[in-house]
Formats: sequence, structure tokens, C-alpha cells
Amino acid sequence: MIVTSATYRQRSNGTPAALTIDPTNVYLARGPRFRMEAEMIRDTALQASSLLNPKIGGPSVMPYQPKGIWDSPYSGEQWMEAKDTERYRRGIYVFIKRASTYPSFMSFDASSRETCTVRRIRTNSPLQALALLNDQAYLEAAKALGAKMLQRGSLEQGLVYGFRATTSRKPTHDELAVLAKAYAQFRQKYINKPEEAKKLGKDEREAAWTMVGNVLLNLDETITKG
Amino acid sequence: MTEQELLQHITRRTLFKKVGYGLGNVALASLMADPAFGFLADQQKKKPAPGPLSPKSPHFKPKAKSIIYLFMAGAPSQLDLFEPKPILNKFDGDVCPEEYIKGERFAFIRGGKPKLLGSPHSYAQYGKAGHQISALLPHLGTIADDISIIHSMKTDQFNHAPAQLFMNTGFQVPGRPSLGSWLTYGLGTANSDLPGFVVLLSGLSNPDGGKSCYGSGFLPSVYQGVEFRSQGEPVLFVDNPDGISPDVRRDSLDAIRDLNTMRSKEVLDPEIETRIAQYELAYRMQTSVPELMDISKESEATKEMYGVEPGKKSFANNCLLARRLVERGVRCVQLYHRGWDHHGESEGNDIKHGLPELCRQVDKAAAALIKDLKQRGLLDETIVVWGGEFGRTPINEQRGGVNFPGRDHHPKAYTMWVAGGGIKPGVNYGKTDDIGFNVVENAVSVHDLNATLLHQLGLEHTKLTYHYQGRDFRLTDVFGEPIKELIS
Repeated sequence: MIVTSATYRQRSNGTPAALTIDPTNVYLARGPRFRMEAEMIRDTALQASSLLNPKIGGPSVMPYQPKGIWDSPYSGEQWMEAKDTERYRRGIYVFIKRASTYPSFMSFDASSRETCTVRRIRTNSPLQALALLNDQAYLEAAKALGAKMLQRGSLEQGLVYGFRATTSRKPTHDELAVLAKAYAQFRQKYINKPEEAKKLGKDEREAAWTMVGNVLLNLDETITKG
Repeated sequence: MTEQELLQHITRRTLFKKVGYGLGNVALASLMADPAFGFLADQQKKKPAPGPLSPKSPHFKPKAKSIIYLFMAGAPSQLDLFEPKPILNKFDGDVCPEEYIKGERFAFIRGGKPKLLGSPHSYAQYGKAGHQISALLPHLGTIADDISIIHSMKTDQFNHAPAQLFMNTGFQVPGRPSLGSWLTYGLGTANSDLPGFVVLLSGLSNPDGGKSCYGSGFLPSVYQGVEFRSQGEPVLFVDNPDGISPDVRRDSLDAIRDLNTMRSKEVLDPEIETRIAQYELAYRMQTSVPELMDISKESEATKEMYGVEPGKKSFANNCLLARRLVERGVRCVQLYHRGWDHHGESEGNDIKHGLPELCRQVDKAAAALIKDLKQRGLLDETIVVWGGEFGRTPINEQRGGVNFPGRDHHPKAYTMWVAGGGIKPGVNYGKTDDIGFNVVENAVSVHDLNATLLHQLGLEHTKLTYHYQGRDFRLTDVFGEPIKELIS
């Protein structure tokens, strides 16, 4: 009932007047707009890049995690990185160890499961930016998304595809222009440094598309519902 | 502060209520004070919006601005380091009198007739205060007049993980905010380019209590301790991945900023402007963190004084980093050095061989930290705390009948030292009995210690609260009194 109501389905855009009268949206004059939860951010990146493995159920999985996170006394337990598409299971299947939680989830306010959490508080921090920009798990998604965009043929078609995959809408003319400029900058830099490009793809085009994917996965709109 | 208030504080939406102005400038206001946004500053001067880590007023004028907590995880033996007991030495090897151990439960010692264990190590007297310090800690002796020794610590917990959690969070079960989280929640932090609460790990392994020892519990996760790691990336995800050079990263951040700005103009959600600022901060951290972690530019004299081992996971490196962090305005630096658990189940882990090795790992650097802070004029505003989660028994554990000198966990009496941050130096506080089994004078609970530390930082421990699940919580639960004799 709630999700099908006109109130819930209205746009989340504010107007200056509405925001002044009702900054926290108590009167529900606009739709809700909030950053997604840790697990959903992971799922969004996997879905947008077509990497998502939608398998339901089964034991938890261990996706990419930097080395040296698990180092507990009396326990020889090791983080055994999952193979193949098991790595791309949804966020709810990521292995949780209370004494050593999954780092990129924790920076996005996931609960450590130490205590009952009725509501997760949402913060907005530089560590979140670093995780989305640099975590290998998200870089892998950027590569896969880049490859999909590259397949579209033209630059514009590729950019539109990527933008829609991450934000669920078509880009405006101005937004396309920003992305096209960024692509050109990336490509030029990788033409100048082909050895750098090799680290992100087979040539400068793949590397540049990976970086466009990285940009798209880091947009506020990508990780925000509303 | 209620959760609702805090949420509003964080989301900055309350700004709209409090400040009437054109919306285009709303969120920009929060960026104005930020050097990275100098290009915006001339547009309009507005007071920056408070973020969750913005500096906040203490309850009263503080003596200290920062704290460095040298946590000796595993629990060092007070009887071999700070508590000379001639009577214990005299009766070394005799059966422990029944009056001490009747009804007592130990972590490992089980039944029978356990024997007393004198200390095989000698002591010397140092400084005006006449501190008795073991020959195992010669460097500490050289700064004896700067430290105060608490001989009468007591805790409720006798296993490592709960005892560490109790020391750090005031509760033995994981899930409460740690001291550093309470401090950054209560005071914010002075340096916006670095986290306000930094954790540095060395020794055998991570602390037994895991990341909960420096977790934020039910406080928002921005207050959790951020590990600065000795190996790999200093902060997780701070390094650009292979193939992304700083100039490519800059280009990508420019594109992200431009697209986010367009979106912000469309939906007018101030969270977007906050996110733009956080991305710039992340970019600055990519420079400020490696710069901070690079100890190679410190003078040879300084490096020698601490005994640093560049590139290694070392307590000495971490002590030097701790100084560099508080120098840059970081509120709380928590070091853990795991390995003091000298049960004597083998020669390498006994009081004669294992304990001196651990002392060698920390003594020089801990003393150097005090000296270095002092010569830079930072000791007055920085508290330094040294100690473990409990003490060790005056009884030889002899687990499985082995014959190495070793001590079991002992929560009833142990020693810590504190220095700087306006704490009276040269005090010997509290006393234990002839064999160091029980406290006989001025017992100090974990809550008393934490209340004292908060007090020096300008916080009244009964007023630093957070409303969660229907009641206000404190670091000190419903206990604790600051130790007057240590507050000058």
C-alpha cells in the first residue's frame, strides 16, 4: 500500500520554499531521498556492471578484502576469497565476523552485529569516498561496466548505457558533456602512458572506459535512493 | 544529544530552519571554511555548518587536547615491573597462604596448593618521586619524574577479550563505544584532513577484543577508530589502484564533482554538497596520510631515540607516528602492543625470558615518546597512558606441571602509568598488600580511570551521554570518580 501510494511515488526533488518550510520532509511534500545501505551499494554496483550473481541462499561468501584484516589471537582462520561468480553474490551473503567486520561495509554504516540495531544511522564520510573509488571490488565492477559501455559502439551510446545502468535515467545534455570530456581526458592520458592503461584494460580505450565506470559508480545519485 | 538531534546535526538539514538564505548557497556554506574550496569562498561568506567531527565545546576548560593510549594487550606483570615485593621474594616457592586464594577463581590455576612466585628481576629507585621501576624498563627510569604510577588498578574481568573491552569501552561485552569514539563524539577533532581517532597495531596479533576495542558501538560509525596500518595501504583504500595515477584520479574527481553539482541544483538535497566535500577530503587524505606515515624525514636523533624500524610493524614506529598524529590535531591515538601474556607455559613465554623481550620492544619507544612530546611542548596538552587489561598473579601458574616462572591473569590488583595532559607528575597512587594480591589503599576502578581521562580533556563523565534504546549511556556506565590526587 505504502509503496504504491502517490505520496511515496512522488519525486524527491525539493523546491527552495518547500525546503525552508519543511527541511526534514515531515509533511511528505516530496519523495524520500537517502543514501542506500552498505549492502545495497554493493548490489547496485554489481547489478549496474552486470556482474551480479543472483543466486539465493547457501553459506556466506568471502568477496575481495584487503590482506591483513583478519589477524586474531588463538585463531588460524583465514579469509578465503571466493572463486568465480561466487565473488559477485549479493551483499547480504558477505561473511560477517563480529570481531573483524567487512571494512567497506563498516564505512557505510553497516552494523557490526554486536548489538541490536533498530536503525542504522547514515553518515557521509571521506572513508566512504575512498572505498568506492579504490576498493578492488568496486574497481572490478567499474571494469565490467566499462566493457559493457565499450560494446555499445558509439561514445554517446556507451555513456548513455552506463548512466542508465547506474542511475536508472537518461543523462541530460550537460551530463553527457561532462562524461564525454572525462572520457577524452582519460583516453589521452592513457595514450600517453600505455603501460598504465595495461593495468586497467587491454588498451587505452578499455582503460578510459573503466575510469568512466569508476566515475559513474561514485555518483551521489548511484548510491542514493530517490 | 538525542539520536534525532544527532541525525539532524549530521544531515545538516536543520540549517534550512536556522539560516534563511538563498538555496544555491546553502550547502556551499559548509564548504567555505575548507581550504580546498577556496574558489567558492569569495561567493559568499557563511559560517560553516557543523559536521559530526567539527570541534565542539568541552564541558569545562580542558587541560589536555589529545590522548595517546599505549595499550599493553596481554597484560604485563606489575610484580616484575612496578611492584617490588620483598616479602613475596622471601617466600618464593612456598605454598600460597589459604587466606588469599580461598574461594578465588583463576583463569588457568586450578585447585591444589599453588606456590608463590617472587620476581627474578631487580628494581632501582628513580627521580624525586622515588618511583620503583624494574631493571627491565631502564628507559622509563629516565623519565620517572614525568609519570605518575597507579598501583591500585582493579578490574572485573579476568579474560583478555572482555577485560580489554572493559578497559576501552567501559563494558565487557562488545557493542559499546570506545574511549576514542566518546572523545570524538564529545569534542570533535581539530584536523579535518585526518580521522579524529586513529588506531595503531603492533606485537603478536591484533587485540583479543578485536575491532570492538576501538569500535563506535551504538554511536555513528564516523566515530569509530580508523586503523593506520604498518603494511599495505596505511588506511584502507587510501591508495589509488594500479593504473590510476593522481592526475587521472583528479580528472575523475572533477567529473564526479561536476555531475554531483548538477544533481544538487536539480534536487536541492544538501547531502550532495556534503558528499562533494567528502570526496575532496578523501583526495586530500590521499596526500596527508602517506605524508604522515613517512617517518623517513624525521631527524636521525629522533629516529634513534625511538628506535624506529622503517617498514616494519613496530611499536617504536607507532609511538613516533602517535606524536606526529597529535601534533596534527588528532584527538585520540590508541596503540595496541599484543604479547604480554606470560603464563610460563614455555621458556619463551615466561617471566625470565619472555617478559624482558616484551620490555625491550616497548621501553625505549614509550620513554622516547614522553621526551619527544615534552621537548616539543606537547606533553602539557597530551595525556599518555600505559598499561594492560589486568595484572598477573603473585602465584606461579605451572600449567601442566611445567617449571618455568609464569603468572596467571590477575584482575584484583595491577599497575598503570599516566603522564602529561595536566596530570600531576611524580605521584605514586594506591597500594597493594605484601604480596601484591589485593589493593589495600585507594583502589582505582576502570571507570575511575576513564572518568579521570575524560576530566583532563574537559568532559564531565556523567554528562557525556548518548540516548540509545530508551536510556542515556555513558563510557563510565553509572560508576566512576575522577582521581583527585592525580588532577593538578
